[in-house]
Amino acid sequence: MEISKVVEILKRQQSTKILLLLCILFFMPLLNNLYLNTIVISIGFYSIVTMGFILLMGFAGQISLGQAIFFGLGAYISGILAVKYDISPWLTLVLATVTTGCIAMLLGRAIFRLRGLIVGGITLALNLVFFNLVQSMSGITGGATGMMNIPQLPSGGFMSYSLFIYYVVWLSVILLLVFSLNLVNSRVGRALKAMNLFSGGSDVTAQVMGINIMKYKAGIFAVSAMFASLAGSIYAHYISCIEPATFGVSYSVMIAIMAILGGLSSPWGALLGAALIVGITELLREIIPLFTGGTTGAYELIAYGFILMATLRYLPSGMISVFNRLTKLGDKSSTEVISP
Amino acid sequence: MNPSALLQFLISGMNLGCIYAAIGLGLFVVYSVTRVLNLAQGEFVMLGGMLTVSLLRMGIPLLPTLLLAVVITAFVGAFLYQVIIYPARNSSGSTHVFLTAGFAFSLEGIALLVWGWGDRGLPNFLNSPNIHLWGATIFGQTPWIVVSTLIMVIGLFLFYSRTIQGKALRACADQPLGARIVGISTEKMALFSFMLAAALGAISGAVITPLTMTSYGVGLPLTVKGMLAAFIGGLNKAEGVIVGGIVLGLAEAMSAGLMPSGYYEVIALSALILVFLCRPRGLVTTQSEV
Repeated sequence: MEISKVVEILKRQQSTKILLLLCILFFMPLLNNLYLNTIVISIGFYSIVTMGFILLMGFAGQISLGQAIFFGLGAYISGILAVKYDISPWLTLVLATVTTGCIAMLLGRAIFRLRGLIVGGITLALNLVFFNLVQSMSGITGGATGMMNIPQLPSGGFMSYSLFIYYVVWLSVILLLVFSLNLVNSRVGRALKAMNLFSGGSDVTAQVMGINIMKYKAGIFAVSAMFASLAGSIYAHYISCIEPATFGVSYSVMIAIMAILGGLSSPWGALLGAALIVGITELLREIIPLFTGGTTGAYELIAYGFILMATLRYLPSGMISVFNRLTKLGDKSSTEVISP
Repeated sequence: MNPSALLQFLISGMNLGCIYAAIGLGLFVVYSVTRVLNLAQGEFVMLGGMLTVSLLRMGIPLLPTLLLAVVITAFVGAFLYQVIIYPARNSSGSTHVFLTAGFAFSLEGIALLVWGWGDRGLPNFLNSPNIHLWGATIFGQTPWIVVSTLIMVIGLFLFYSRTIQGKALRACADQPLGARIVGISTEKMALFSFMLAAALGAISGAVITPLTMTSYGVGLPLTVKGMLAAFIGGLNKAEGVIVGGIVLGLAEAMSAGLMPSGYYEVIALSALILVFLCRPRGLVTTQSEV
């Protein structure tokens, strides 16, 4: 076969993209730039949580503004198990993820009896409840000042801890990415798409085809929650001290911004959106002090709001559609455009 | 439980309830006409309070300050509709919700820029003193809060039922196509609803600040609580929204008084969420209306 034909085929495969990603990730630490490592780790965490959100909103069409709840649950459950009960950190990851999944399943069953925007509203309210709950339960969670001294994940000691976390996080990203990509193209994925208002389906459409919408809605809600929870647990063992302020309503909105910016039509959108937002944040933190010499929190807020509004207005399918068009790295499933 | 404690809870509950009811009303006004869930409603409340603080600080007397704060906020609401929502009017409802969320974020950032991190307070309007009654304290600002909320509610009711514009608004809410057929401009009505909601928010923001202080970040939690109040009451009926607000306010006050401290928001919010999940149509709507 001609080289160009091989390249064409390779371009269309997801595995190529994943291999490319793996190469980049492998070579990144060799640059030995601690700052860059920290940023990329941060992108990794956001990618995982955002991927969960995209599965929920991009594929099943359900709005949830409560990802912070599960990110927080993962962090706190893992932290509490490790600190108060001396359970091995790796085990706490598993326990926290499973627990969060069950909670999310139950919550999902209750919430998804409602339809439409109200689901988003309820998840928003639950997020607020979670935030207040964590702040109030100071006996268990350390309250507003946070929980400290969460042990690190045992790494065997042959590399620096932050490098270790880098690999843990990004290995998870890749695994979850592969999982998501497979899910999207499977029976489950098609059932979810049938329910999705944004891609031409609806609850009735799915039901008419014999799909049990409650089971799938609650299920994908649980999956998305477990993504966020896993990220939260790793985060707790990375940062070593966590506070409630991180898990408030703004975090959930940030995740939504990353997902919409990246593009809801593919799990890759999570990586793209997370990378862009973190990149823009760092850029702002470099540039703004040159003009005003103050803290940049306000400008960041304005920028995020602006990005959200601009993306929805001018590029509702997200940056991933631009990326796919430019590089023609797309394949069949990414040519469908799912946008709010 | 002694009666003066109960009275105190009732008073606090009324204060909070009026605010949540007002926010819920603002959400209702916009939702009923445009089907948009305005997540920036709480920001209007914040703006009302902040603007009042700044204008008073500039030496402007109370009444013109309030008027100015309301007008400025109404224009912010107009901006939200005209520049943000209207161009995207053919998109789905969730796009609109996210647009208002983005706007809320940006407003918070601007507020942070202009007013900084700290809490801002105000003296009671006309320096009304606290009233002590049967062992309970009625905060000096309470009459202002209750009266202004009453005026808003009654005013809104009269507006909807007695004026042409009000009826036009209702027409757009009930039957947009029919409204257009008889010559009502749904766009103008939508714009007006946003301005009205912003004005309502500003009034309640100005009136609550002497009691609870305001800061750049109060917007989102207020929006969420107001939204919950609106859902509880049934987003489709104005009376329901008010009932919902009062219920939430009372629930918070009761929880604050009776439960170990710090948990009151959790209890009140969870209780309401539970109620809502059990009765999704709201407390006030009947089976026939949805």
